[in-house]
Order: sequence, then C-alpha cells, then structure tokens
Amino acid sequence: MKKIDNIIPDLGLIPALIITIVFAAALQLSGSWIAMFVAGALGSLFVGRHRLAFLVGFIGVFLGWLILFSYLIFTAQALPIADFFVSQLGLSGMGWLVILISCIIGGLLGGFGAILGRSIVELVDELIPEHAEPETPE
Amino acid sequence: MKRKIANLGLSLIGPIALIILLTMPIGPLTGGLGIIQPWGGIFDVGRGIQHQSVEYVTLPEAISGATVVIDQWGIPHIYSQNTEDAFLALGYMHARDRLFQVVMQTYLAAGRISEVVGGEDFAISTDEFQRTIGLAQSAQETYDWYVANAKNNPDVNYTLRCVQAHVAGMNAFIDSMTSDTTPIEFKILGFTPQHFTPVDEFIWAKYMTWGLSGGVEDLTNQFIRGSLHNDTMYSELFPDVYPNTIPIISEQYNLSISDYPDAPGGYPAMIVPPPSVSLDATPIARIPTEKLDSLLDITSKTINLLGNGAFVGSNNWAVNGSKTANGQAILANDPHLTLQAPSLWYEVQIVVLDENEPLNVQGGSLPGTPGVLIGHTEHISWGLTNVGADVLDIFVEGLNPSNPMQYSYNGEWRDFTVDKEIIHVKGSADIEYDVYWSVHGPCIDSVMNTYDSDTDTVHPNIAMNWTGLGVTHEILTLGLLNRANNITDYYNALYWWDSPPQNFIYADDEGNIALTVAGRFPIRQGYSGKFPITALNDSVGMISNIPYAFLPRSVNPSQCFLQSANQKSIDPASYPYTILGAQSPDYRGERIYTVLENSTDITVEDMMRLQADDLDLTAEKLLPYVLSAWNANGDGNTTIQGIIDLLEGWDYKMDTDISAPTIWIYLLNETRFEVFDEVRSAGLKASVVQIPVLEWVVTQSIGYYIDDHTTPGVRETLNDILIRALHRTAADLYNLNPDPNKWTYGNYHIVFIDHLAGLTYIGGGPQRGSAYTVNAAPGWVVQHGPSRRMIVSYTETPQYYTVYPAGQSQVMFSPHWDDLFQLWYTFNETTQHYGYTLEYNYSTPAAFQAADDGTMIEYIIYINPPPDMY
Repeated sequence: MKKIDNIIPDLGLIPALIITIVFAAALQLSGSWIAMFVAGALGSLFVGRHRLAFLVGFIGVFLGWLILFSYLIFTAQALPIADFFVSQLGLSGMGWLVILISCIIGGLLGGFGAILGRSIVELVDELIPEHAEPETPE
Repeated sequence: MKRKIANLGLSLIGPIALIILLTMPIGPLTGGLGIIQPWGGIFDVGRGIQHQSVEYVTLPEAISGATVVIDQWGIPHIYSQNTEDAFLALGYMHARDRLFQVVMQTYLAAGRISEVVGGEDFAISTDEFQRTIGLAQSAQETYDWYVANAKNNPDVNYTLRCVQAHVAGMNAFIDSMTSDTTPIEFKILGFTPQHFTPVDEFIWAKYMTWGLSGGVEDLTNQFIRGSLHNDTMYSELFPDVYPNTIPIISEQYNLSISDYPDAPGGYPAMIVPPPSVSLDATPIARIPTEKLDSLLDITSKTINLLGNGAFVGSNNWAVNGSKTANGQAILANDPHLTLQAPSLWYEVQIVVLDENEPLNVQGGSLPGTPGVLIGHTEHISWGLTNVGADVLDIFVEGLNPSNPMQYSYNGEWRDFTVDKEIIHVKGSADIEYDVYWSVHGPCIDSVMNTYDSDTDTVHPNIAMNWTGLGVTHEILTLGLLNRANNITDYYNALYWWDSPPQNFIYADDEGNIALTVAGRFPIRQGYSGKFPITALNDSVGMISNIPYAFLPRSVNPSQCFLQSANQKSIDPASYPYTILGAQSPDYRGERIYTVLENSTDITVEDMMRLQADDLDLTAEKLLPYVLSAWNANGDGNTTIQGIIDLLEGWDYKMDTDISAPTIWIYLLNETRFEVFDEVRSAGLKASVVQIPVLEWVVTQSIGYYIDDHTTPGVRETLNDILIRALHRTAADLYNLNPDPNKWTYGNYHIVFIDHLAGLTYIGGGPQRGSAYTVNAAPGWVVQHGPSRRMIVSYTETPQYYTVYPAGQSQVMFSPHWDDLFQLWYTFNETTQHYGYTLEYNYSTPAAFQAADDGTMIEYIIYINPPPDMY
C-alpha cells in the first residue's frame, strides 16, 4: 500500500492554493463553515510541510470567501448586510470590516484545517509500512 | 510515531478553539460569529429577497392551489378556487414576509418571550405578567368554543376553517424555510421557529384585545384619588365627560331587540340597568400604598406591542353623498398605534372564486390573523378607532386571616385556584411561577412574588375582572365582516364583536354611512367600576351587559357625516346605560367634526388633507389667553417678549420649520404646571390632569384652581399664572438651546420607527403634528401615530387609497422594507397631504395581468399549479 504523500504529489504553493480556493468556494456553498476545515485539509494534501499547509489553507479559504463576498456584494447586498451586522455591535459604516473579519475567520478555518489534515496524513503515512520497490525484470 | 501523534493532538487545538469562538454568544449576537460566513449565514437574506417573475411553490395541504400576484409594493393579491387554499396562501405569505414578527408577538402574548431572547429581566417580568393575565388560557377556551360550535354554526365553521388553513400555511412556510428565507433576526438570536397551532392565532387576538382594552386604570384612579384626599376636586379634575365634548354618536339608532336579544358575542344582556353608583357612594377597597406602587411600576414596564396606552387612539369618519362632490360616500380611517418596523399591518387582497363561498376582501391584515381587520369588500368598507372605555375592574379579595390561600365570597371561604406556570428560559433553568385565580379572575399581584408570605397585606388578592378574558369572538367577526356586502351584513358581523370595544365606521356603494360603538360593555351593580372594590358576594359585580341592539350607534344621520377620535361615545344624559370612562380628550374629534360640518363638495383630496391636518386646537383655544395676559400685565421682560413675538401671528399649525410649536409644547405643559398646584401639592404630577380640564379652568376662570394655594394670603389672577408659565417656558427653552434660532420644531420633533427587536429603525426626520392634532404625533420622538391611513371613495369604480409607515417586507434590505414609509412620511406642500397607494383591486389574476402596464405586477407565485404550468 502506498503512502498518501507518495500518491498525491507536492505541487508547490501556487497550484495548491488554486486548488484550495476552488475547494473553499465550492464547499462553502454547502452553507457550513465547518466544511472549511475540509477545504484546508484537502489543500494540505498538495504540500509537504505544516507551515506551507497552513499558508495554503489560510490564503486559499481567505481568497475563496473573498471571491464569494465579491459576488454577493454585487448581486445580494452583502455590504449593507455587513453594515447592519456591525451596527449591532455599536459600530456604523464598517461593513467592510465584517467582511474582512469573516474572510480572516475563513482563513483560520482553512489554515487550521490544513494543519490538521497534514497531521492526519503524516500519522496515517507513518502507519503504512515502507515496502521495497520490486526489482524491475531485466 | 509519538511525534506524529503529538502533532495531531496539537493541530486539534486550533479547530476546537475556532468552533468555540464561532458558536459562542457574543453580546446580542447569540447566534455566534459563524453566521458571518458568506454562504449559509446572514448574507443569505440578500439572495432571499430576489424573485423570479414567476415562482412555483408546493404546499402539501393545498387542495387545488392558488395564484398570488405580488404588486409593485410587495402586496399579495391571493386568488383561489376555495376558501382553504386562500387562507393557506395568506398564512404562507404572512410567514414568508413577517415570520419574526408573528413569532415575537405570539411568544410575547403567551408569556414565552424568554424562550426567544433569554433571561433578561424585562423578558422574565413580561412573561410573568402575561401568564398572570391569562391570555393563553383564554385563547385555549376560545378555540375550544369554536371547535364545539363549528358543527352547528356555519359561520363558526367557516372561520375555524380559515384559522386552520392559515396556521397550516404559516407552518408550511416554516417547513420550507431555507437559509435564504430565514429571517436574519433568527440567525442573530440563534432561534429556530416551531410550528404554530390554531390556539396561537387566538393568543395574538387576545393580546390585541389586552392592548386596546386592558390595563390597570382602576389602580391609577385609586392612587390619584387617594393622593388628592378631596373627592370634589377629584370629580372636577377627572370628570366622566370632559368639558365641551362632542360625543361620537349624535343621533342614536337602535336595532330591533327581537333580532338581537343578547349582548355582543351572545353574552347575557340587561335591558333596564340598575341605578349607577355616585362617586360619593362608591365603596373603595384599600390597597396598601407600597403594593399599589409596586403593581403600577410592574405594569408600566411590561412590553406593549400596540403602544403606550396613553397614545393609543385613532381617527375615522365618513361623509355621505350630500356632502361630497360626486354624490357618493367617502370613508377615512387612520388607527394610531405604535409605529414599528415591520409594521403591525400587512396589506393583502384575498379573492375566493367559489360561487358557493365567494370572497373578495382587501385591506390591512395583522400578520398572524386570518383575515382583514380594516378594509373593504366589493360593496362596503369599514375602519376602526379604539373606544377606550373601562371594561376591566379590580376586585380586592378579603383573605382568610388564618389561611391566605382562601378568600371570602358569598358567606364562605373559597380556595384560590393556583395555576402552576413554567417559564422556559433560553440558556437558563426553567422558572416556576404560580398564578392565583379567584371567582373574579386572575390575581394580578401574583407578579409580585410574595406568595411565600403569610400576611394578608402582601399575599395575592387583587383579582382582575376583564371582559376580554374567557371566550371572545373577534375573529368570528372578521370571518363575517370580510364577506359582508351590505349594511345588514355589517350589523350581523358586529353582533359577534365583543372585545376589544371599537368604533366601527361604515360606508357602502349604496350611499349608506354608519358608526357602531361595538363591543361588550358590562353593566355593573353595587359599585362604579372606577376603583378597586371588595365584593363579598355576587350582588356586586359585572352582572350583565348592554344589549347589542342598543349599543351607541348612528346610521345615516341628518348631519350627513360621522366621526370618532376615541372621545366619549355618547352623551350620558341621553343614554340609559353607562359607558365607563372619560375616554380621550377630543381635540382631534372636535377638529374633524368642525371641518366636516363646514365642508361641502368634499373630495378625496380634502380627506387626505384632513388626515394630514396639523392644526392644534389646544393652541387655538388657550394661546390667546396667554398673549392677552402678557399684553395686559407683562413685566417687560425682553426675553419673554422675544418668545411672544414668535407666537404672535402663529396659525396654530404644528409645522416643522417654525419655532412656535416648540414654544407651545413647553408653554402648554408649564401652564398646566402653574395652574394645578393643588395636584402637585398632593405629590402627583400636574400632567395627570388632561388638557380639556385645563381649558375649562382657563376659559371659565375657575378661581379655585387659578389661585396658587402655596402662597397663602395672595390670590393670583389668571394673568399672573399665565405670565409665570411664560417665565418657566423661557427657562425651558433656553435650557433646550440658548439660541432661539435653533428652536425650530423639526429639530426636536422627529419620527423614529424602531425595529421590533431594536436592531434598526426607519425615519429620523422632522415630523408635523402633536398629540392633539388630527395627524397625531405625540411626544418629542414620535413613535406612535397613524399606523395606517385609508380613504375609500365610492366613485363609479371605487377608489381605495392606503399607506402605512414601513413596508410589506420584514427584510431591512428589501425595497419593500420602507417604500410605503416614504409615501406616508413625505408631505406635499402643494397638495398639503401625504402620499398614498391606489390599491389594485382586480377580481381575477387574468384581469390583473391584462391591466398591468409593466409596473403594477412585480412577480407571481403559483401555489401547487397544475403540472402543465411549470
């Protein structure tokens, strides 16, 4: 049985980021922020280290949510809604801050999801025994 | 391996911390921060208010479906082949556009608001009070009555079917609710709405009844009378009829007692009432001052969705063809209730095309109620004002000294019935709460939590006997009135209207006008009903009711118009029964009466101008005395002279761009303060005395009250008192703002329509009018007033004009959140009136669509359409 890291190649930062953005935007349409742990974890499959995994998860979900918010700002009054929300906390005219905080929260969800994913992958790989490659017949 | 396991453990810390952060309540945001995700949280409401031009909805309980045409104002026009589907659609629309409001009002009325908002003090005390007055219990009794009578009475059967279909419609919406259509308030509060039951509809109706006819006025009366220690003064300052009152009914019109032998709602009636009890002979039950203070304090703090009782009022009037330009009747109505967002009102048209059970009614419904409360059918229209009569009495039960769980009645000790209530509190433990009931009703001092005490001074014993408790039939009236098409139908519908007492104005396309002071008015024996009393037996109490046939009523009077503005229903000297209470100061009524009496060739525009009228009769009647006093005995003070200069030449209109109205508000209050030193000396505020009494003192020069009794040996004249009031007014004004140029009324008198849960507001701009103008606008921050304006003109094709200060949608990001407010608020200086919508009134969806010029219809919802329609 092959290790996970041997099956899924380390694509490097940018490709992993793009994949994470797509996962984040798609999974967020389920309406559950818990899914961002999964998006981050899936993104972490394509990088080899914890720090890089966090970066991919954080930026990937951050940008994924930012793209969704951009769409909602133009089509579904996201800024007035954010203004309304922040006014409940005694602030006014700072809807952009709500969107920024939301994206940061999304990023943290993705980042911590990625670290968790990376840790799981590494633990699982540790449990999978190393097998010698069969010799190639002459 | 250990390192990998340790890594995994450490990597769980972040996710767990985030889960806690995103689900824990933060201040008012009990839904947690997770709701600010882009999809699945609060931002979904922005998508939920977007509609396709045609939408299809499947409701499991629909029989043959319905078509709902949503017009340009977001007003639904419901068309159905049968009654059930029409009311199913109404319930669905009520829930879709106003679910948070319906939930809040239902939970509030039932004493369950703590389940929604948690254990705040105001929520728990409100729940305790609502449980005490027993609205939910009465609603259950009322529902049981409908179920028991539905088999034998087709009108009850019809109404019950409407209730059940309406509830099913609301529940169908809850079942179909997505994140897009879930009210944002629920997301913030982290609350999931539960299914409604038919009893919930009656609970809301009961709440409306309480808001318009409940209260503890008897306790207030006792407090004032006890403080004054002078029954002559009490009688003069708190009369049964205010001086110069123009009663609502000028020509009484009785119906046949053989046609209507009972009191409204089928309650027993008494044709010859017992002699009334004079104030001197009125026995009074003493309530300890501390207990009285506590009760008044508790009741003043409870939430009242319909508004502060002092400000609940309304105007309605009708003129017949003799006075109108086109020879047809015109009807107008503007109920003054709390101005809230979303509004108490929800406009709707309901059409049932079934030949056996046809319906075409349109107007203002109350979300959560199956029908139109104020509006019109194809041939008649009606509107309401509150009567404001006293239909609630306080009985102080005599407790058994050796067992305060018993009270004396009919010569024996009777046990209190104890209702054990459990108040569920969101996020906290349940609260057990006992409500004591005597034969007279629930003990309102159950709210004081003193039931552990054994002393009879603090043990619950103050029972409330209110006509609104028990079985009431207001929804049955809606079931009948919504199908009424002539004046006989109107009589038959109002027969069932027992609570809350309302002045029902009427006009029809045959030229009739009528006004009925409808409701169940108790006939009392052995006491006046004004003050708390101890009744040791059943010879003292509400022994019967005024017969429906003899209620104050006027039909096609010789004066050719009718009006009501919450003033005295009828002159007591010409009416054999007692409608208890002075009711409201009638400056609005007098103004309406005067305008209508002096008008001919009246048009709809004239009626719109009258609804917008801001002439303050208190100023017109009293200010000349102040100006005269200054001119005669002024002390030359230049500051006062500056104020006088601003008042000279004022037309008494409470406009927002001048200073005189601001001055008048202060001057009126300070005049009352200076005149009624006797009241202040008794420890009361002078403002407990109503302005018509002040007018009587000033215009009739009543020396006893004009004299300042705190200055023995000096006898003040009226001019002395009025000049003192001017000095106090000057101090008030300069305290308000040292620059007289800043006293402009519109700087201080603003309209502010708060969201139901205080999350946002509509308005904030200057508002015309005052507490005494036809365009009612009491207080500096106006939060009560015309909650809906309606004018019906019976031209060849009847014209229905309506508007209310908010919009159809509960979503603050929808264009229908406040689009009607803009019409309601914007005063046109040229036409001198506010804006209205001209209702679309088509009898079929096809006719509506054919008439649409591209602006009238916003979209159409098909409920359970035939398969080939998709």
